[in-house]
Amino acid sequence: MSNNKLKKVSLTAVAPVVTAGTANAARSNTVDKLIARIRDKSDKVRADAWLSAGEVGAPAVKPLATVMIDKDLEVARAAKHGLWKVVRHVGRPGAGGEKRAVTAELIALLSDNQPTPVRREVLWMLSEIGQSRSVEAITALLSNKELREDARMVLQRIPGRRSLAALKAGLKAAPKDFKLNIAQSLRQRGVRVRGLPCVKLVPTKKTNVKLVK
Amino acid sequence: MKRTNQLNRRKFLAGAAAGAAAMSFPYLVPSGVLAARGRTGANERITTAHIGVGGMGGHHLRDMVKRRSRGEVNIAAVCDIDEKRLAGAVKTAGPGVQPYHDYRYILERKDIDAVVIATPDHWHGVQMVHAAECGKHVYVEKPACCTIEEGKAMVAAAKENKVSVQVGSQGRSQPEAYLAHRYLVNGNIGHISRVDCFHYPSPEDNKPVPDSEPPAELDWDMWLGPLRWRPYNKKYCHGVFRWVLESGGGQIRDRGAHVMSCAMWWMGADGTGPATIKATGTPPKKGLWDSAVLMDVTYTFKNPDWVLTWRQMPREKLPPAEKRTGKEPGGRISRPGYGAIYRGDKGEFIHWGGDGGTWAEKKAREWQLPAGGKDVYKSPGHKEDWFKGIKTGAKTIMNIEAAVGVANLCILGNLSYMLDRKLKWNQDKREIVGDEQARRMMSRPQRHPYHL
Repeated sequence: MSNNKLKKVSLTAVAPVVTAGTANAARSNTVDKLIARIRDKSDKVRADAWLSAGEVGAPAVKPLATVMIDKDLEVARAAKHGLWKVVRHVGRPGAGGEKRAVTAELIALLSDNQPTPVRREVLWMLSEIGQSRSVEAITALLSNKELREDARMVLQRIPGRRSLAALKAGLKAAPKDFKLNIAQSLRQRGVRVRGLPCVKLVPTKKTNVKLVK
Repeated sequence: MKRTNQLNRRKFLAGAAAGAAAMSFPYLVPSGVLAARGRTGANERITTAHIGVGGMGGHHLRDMVKRRSRGEVNIAAVCDIDEKRLAGAVKTAGPGVQPYHDYRYILERKDIDAVVIATPDHWHGVQMVHAAECGKHVYVEKPACCTIEEGKAMVAAAKENKVSVQVGSQGRSQPEAYLAHRYLVNGNIGHISRVDCFHYPSPEDNKPVPDSEPPAELDWDMWLGPLRWRPYNKKYCHGVFRWVLESGGGQIRDRGAHVMSCAMWWMGADGTGPATIKATGTPPKKGLWDSAVLMDVTYTFKNPDWVLTWRQMPREKLPPAEKRTGKEPGGRISRPGYGAIYRGDKGEFIHWGGDGGTWAEKKAREWQLPAGGKDVYKSPGHKEDWFKGIKTGAKTIMNIEAAVGVANLCILGNLSYMLDRKLKWNQDKREIVGDEQARRMMSRPQRHPYHL
């Protein structure tokens, strides 16, 4: 084998690695630029940034979630808008692969080490694009007092047998003060629930304003 | 949901306590007992209650107080989750009108024939359905609903419970709306293939504030009602909920429910819907409000084919208002910033407003109906038309089916804007086609126990 041929072979072997590395670097660069613009002091720059976040896709999910709790209210808002843009972009018909990648990133953000406001927002993002594989992580939050109502509603919205089974199991496991909530979701999903009447018409709150006689 | 599944407070409190509570109120004789079952007698006063008494709710209450003085109605109760507003309403309504914090107490009262609902938009669907399920006739503010699912439930509840519903797109009942309608259906501008609605932009929240504790007088939990929980921020309420997509939906749902209501009525398009919806828009650059500032929506209708557009544009691009003397049926044009241009193959027609002020172009006002010309329904007034519906069972001018049809246009426009893509709509099934995410967004899970 000539030197030239050897060179060619070795270059061919290295090419995918180099290409992947270049692509990763490019993605990282894109995400870094997006986050920098999301953190910009200018309203316009931030708005342009979050409006363009959709196409960045899964690599932007975690970095945007981190900025969602920024001390600067408007920076945090821009990050939230950006993350929603990603969710709405990958939810389009025919984008199954992108959607799965983003969903996986979102599921990771439901973990206990994430702040509650981020987890709440992520739950609702999953309500729009989450599939069966999201159900387990969402179901775990039915036992979290701060997030269980959101988790219940999100499970209600995700179609399929797994979410329905999760709600049924959730009803059995739920404490007394949360059973009616899950019963509501089950009814909405067409399940007949016995022993837990619907209380939507039961008034509970009194006023201090007096009748004029 | 079947009523048998539901628990009312009397059952809940095992009867005795509720009975005692009922004895303590100066209840009125229900007008329905003197008339046909479910209908108030033609000469009977309708007994009303008001749910939501700020903003338009305050306007409705003051209007009903005038009607009471003319012997048209009784006012039994007022309700608000803002204690300051409620205290004000009690004063406006006068002696004997019972204040409530929780609207469901009103729905229990058998002496109340009808309710006027003027709460934030995200409550309209739930409260209208609950009221219908309790046998109350309903006047509910526009837009009828915030989701496709709510609209379906509202139509079903009105039908199943045989109640009369009027939605507050009162433009249809304005004198010049009648003149415009008559002018258009008589072919004065020929075959109309396009209606372009125009409106000034939705506002931006240029002074955002952080979340905070709600004021003492406000029940934040109940203000949110069916919406998912979030911390209070004073940029949610009152009134400004309109600029939040989840709640008010921006100008397209606020005024679109008026301007597009006229379009659907005059085009004879109630009960029909678009085949496709495509929206683009410009979001606010900062703040809590997220409704599109500028917006461009195209609805394509098929069989018959026509196009409806909704456009929020800079004020300087709005068509100029017609000059008037003030002696016209609708008086001077006080809100020239919205309306619609109807484009026919023989000419164009423009109207301004579309709500409590609806102003038709001069040529329509001056046009005389020739012998053999086609006349159209002339509303006796939006509330009068509702009262007629209550007393006779006649379909109201802005009945719930028509109002949900208009609200669906607004909702679909916003969904297309939010998703940044064209949507396909199946009008027969009232559902989005071929887009799983958009289909999920046709409904919104509701917080317990504030649900349909």
